[in-house]
Amino acid sequence: MSRDEDAGDSGFERFEHFLEQWSRRDFLKRTGGAAAYVAFLAGGVEFLEACAGGGGTQSATPKKGGHVVEGNITDIRTLNSMLSSDTASNQVIGLMFDGLLNQKKNGDLIGAIAQDVPKPSSDGLTYTFKLRDNLKWSDGQAITADDVKFTYALAYDPQYKDFASPRRGDLSKYIASIDTPDPKTVVVKTTQVYAPFLASHGLYGILPKHVLGNLDGKALNSAEFNSGPTVVNGPFKFKSWDKGQQVTLERNDSYWGGAPYLDQWIVKVLPDSVALTNQLKTGELDIGPVDPGQFDNLKTTESVTTTEFPVPTFTFYAYNLNPDTKAGKLFGDKAVRQALLFALNRKQIVDAVFFGHGKVANSVEPPTSWAYKDKPKILYTFDKAKAESLLDGAGWAKGADGIRAKGGLKLKFDMITNAGNKQRESMLQVMQQSWKDIGVEATPSLIQFPQLVSQIVNIRTFDVFLVGFNWSNDPDEAPLYHSRNAVPGGFNGADFKNDQVDSILDQALGTLDKAKRKQLYEQFQDIMSEEVPSPVVLFNTGIYGWNKRVQGTDFGSFNQFGNRPWAHTVWVTDGK
Amino acid sequence: MLAKYVARRFLASLIVVLGVTAITLALMKTTSGSYVPGIDLNPALRPEDIARLRTQLGLDEPPQVWYATWLWNVIHGDFGRSMIDGSRVTDHIFERLPNTLELTATAIVIGVLVAVPLGVIGALRRGSKADHGLTVVSVAGFAVPQFWMGLMLILIFSVTLEQHGLPWLPSSGAFSAFQGGDLLDRVQHLILPATVLSFFYTSTWSRFIRSSMLEVLSQDYIRTARAKGMSERRVVYLHGLRNALIPLITLIGLELPGLVSGGLVVEVVFGWPGIGKLAFERALQYDYTTVMGVTFFATLLVIAGNLLADLLYGVLDPRIRYG
Repeated sequence: MSRDEDAGDSGFERFEHFLEQWSRRDFLKRTGGAAAYVAFLAGGVEFLEACAGGGGTQSATPKKGGHVVEGNITDIRTLNSMLSSDTASNQVIGLMFDGLLNQKKNGDLIGAIAQDVPKPSSDGLTYTFKLRDNLKWSDGQAITADDVKFTYALAYDPQYKDFASPRRGDLSKYIASIDTPDPKTVVVKTTQVYAPFLASHGLYGILPKHVLGNLDGKALNSAEFNSGPTVVNGPFKFKSWDKGQQVTLERNDSYWGGAPYLDQWIVKVLPDSVALTNQLKTGELDIGPVDPGQFDNLKTTESVTTTEFPVPTFTFYAYNLNPDTKAGKLFGDKAVRQALLFALNRKQIVDAVFFGHGKVANSVEPPTSWAYKDKPKILYTFDKAKAESLLDGAGWAKGADGIRAKGGLKLKFDMITNAGNKQRESMLQVMQQSWKDIGVEATPSLIQFPQLVSQIVNIRTFDVFLVGFNWSNDPDEAPLYHSRNAVPGGFNGADFKNDQVDSILDQALGTLDKAKRKQLYEQFQDIMSEEVPSPVVLFNTGIYGWNKRVQGTDFGSFNQFGNRPWAHTVWVTDGK
Repeated sequence: MLAKYVARRFLASLIVVLGVTAITLALMKTTSGSYVPGIDLNPALRPEDIARLRTQLGLDEPPQVWYATWLWNVIHGDFGRSMIDGSRVTDHIFERLPNTLELTATAIVIGVLVAVPLGVIGALRRGSKADHGLTVVSVAGFAVPQFWMGLMLILIFSVTLEQHGLPWLPSSGAFSAFQGGDLLDRVQHLILPATVLSFFYTSTWSRFIRSSMLEVLSQDYIRTARAKGMSERRVVYLHGLRNALIPLITLIGLELPGLVSGGLVVEVVFGWPGIGKLAFERALQYDYTTVMGVTFFATLLVIAGNLLADLLYGVLDPRIRYG
């Protein structure tokens, strides 16, 4: 008994002693470490200031070595270029895989592994790509025309019909055949003249046939390669993927454009845009997209540079025009559609919701497009009186409850957008208030993004939905406005059907004459400004921020995510 | 007797597992509409693509057929592949499990280490200012939402400290992006999320120890110990605390499933690459197979934790018999 007690007692004493010692030692150690860390950071800043003194990328000589950490708020899904359909994945894929073509920040196509952008044949059906000399995969094997053919076959050849590529619909429709007369030549024959072919389908990262060629479509869906490509042809090689946190890439010395200056490029996933901005400030991140709401927060940070540019993205709302629905009976009246748009103070939305980072939209083509018409037929500057007179004129009279009605039908509807997107949530509130002011009752409701997508492409019981859309650099907008895409699964969820628009969009797709296309798209924009089936509220802008130690980036409208032809020339001033 | 008890509990558990997974699937099926997991609004997608991808992923099958197939495969050890990235669901779970264990085990250890002394202090100095102070803090532990506390800690210990040029703590991830992953680096990343998570445990357990301690200290054997002239310290630590701790072990046993699922909110706020965050993100994207896999796994752990707690009860308290 007494032995036990003694042991217990001394045990407790030892424990107490240990606690004391441990906390003291640990405290000293930790503060010491932290202090050293801060000293290091402070030193880094001084050094940066010294470097930045002369200013400008041009005056400095690029240094080899070092790394950048880029932030993103969406998790990466796959690293296979023919499976990916989201920007977060495309961004990482773009650093590892080059396509036949790439694009400059203004959207102009340039050669990547192809020497140049091919001229279509005189009938507009055939594109002949010449590959660059001495192209090598990162394992030393030659990149040949067979690799290109293999990559595209994954999405058009019936042999690979089990491969879950989201590109199959388009590619199997437009590609007639791909021939490889010699290892450096790829001849693509299309089934019909399709103007956006190169812009839409010429940029997919080419995959190594010698690694994947022995797998069938089904096996390719779950190939190890998709989460850890062993062989690449882009500026950076795959190193590791810590799921849910980051992908680490390293320099590919055999890159055709020359070995990158950086040793590593790390893409890190963050919980939200606030965390991302904070980490740009603390220096944990070197590069990252900046949310408009966080811009001012970041602007005061000396160590960070920002750039802002128009992007081919717009935020729009759509009326349900299906005449069989209740909403269709309200919105079938053009005066209602126009009046609602006149009643929206969109300048205020841009200023209050997007903190001025955006542009009121006059057209359905984004201003980044070469077919953009700044002043189409009708301009909808905020005009409440005009909105009311339009509704009065069309017979929508205010009832006792202040809500307009016509023939027993009240001008009353629901609006949906995806929960969690703060800007869209705020926009619905502004819309509700603005429309209440003219005697229209619109009730906002928030649903999850998957449900919103289902509503748009399939269920279609909505009255009005609000969402954003991201375009390529081709002005074709058939996915949203052509009647053939009103079928289930298509994005024309508004059920907009206009013969004239269909015919213009078809003609513009079927000619390679740019001047002719521009003229057609101008006509299209005029009609859309008159019809306003799904008004574009604003054109969004892209903002990127980066630590001043990072040099050589050139973000722009079309060099945001997947396409960055300058990635291998990015370098860091401190070489770390 | 015990074997029979365990067998009966096991059979009952099977029904729970079936029920939970079936309800999970039903919830996803009824709310997903025609959404194809992982597909965004992408102008290059055609109606044919959406229809084809749905068929390939088996989304057009009736839910009961899908469920039966899934169950059959699970019985044969195959949890399937994620609908979004094609990776094995088990790979996803086991990749994230170590991170989750690191966070929650740390939080539980801190919780015990802090809760025990606090509970003892509260019991020994009942009614004192310290005791009242501890009561306020533990009520706060229940009342303050974890996400809010997480954001506040980030604001103070990452953002504000950094702005003033003071030592600060990283606010997201389990290690530094560049050359991270050594012990000090991981500990630095662990501090904030573990603090939030352990705050909750501390609040619960310190109250528990306090009342348990008070109860034990009023027992006859304590009075006997004091009567035979034992020092107060021995009375408290040796006779009091040891006995007061026994019920806590059961309580911690009940927290075992929390080792895996407990940190969901904390994981999301701190970008901690664990199972909770995985389940949360994949549920929002309707990755059926992954969500079902995690649900199955978590349900098993809850059941195992409960069973373990029940059995521990029997071991620690001889008055309890199973039959």
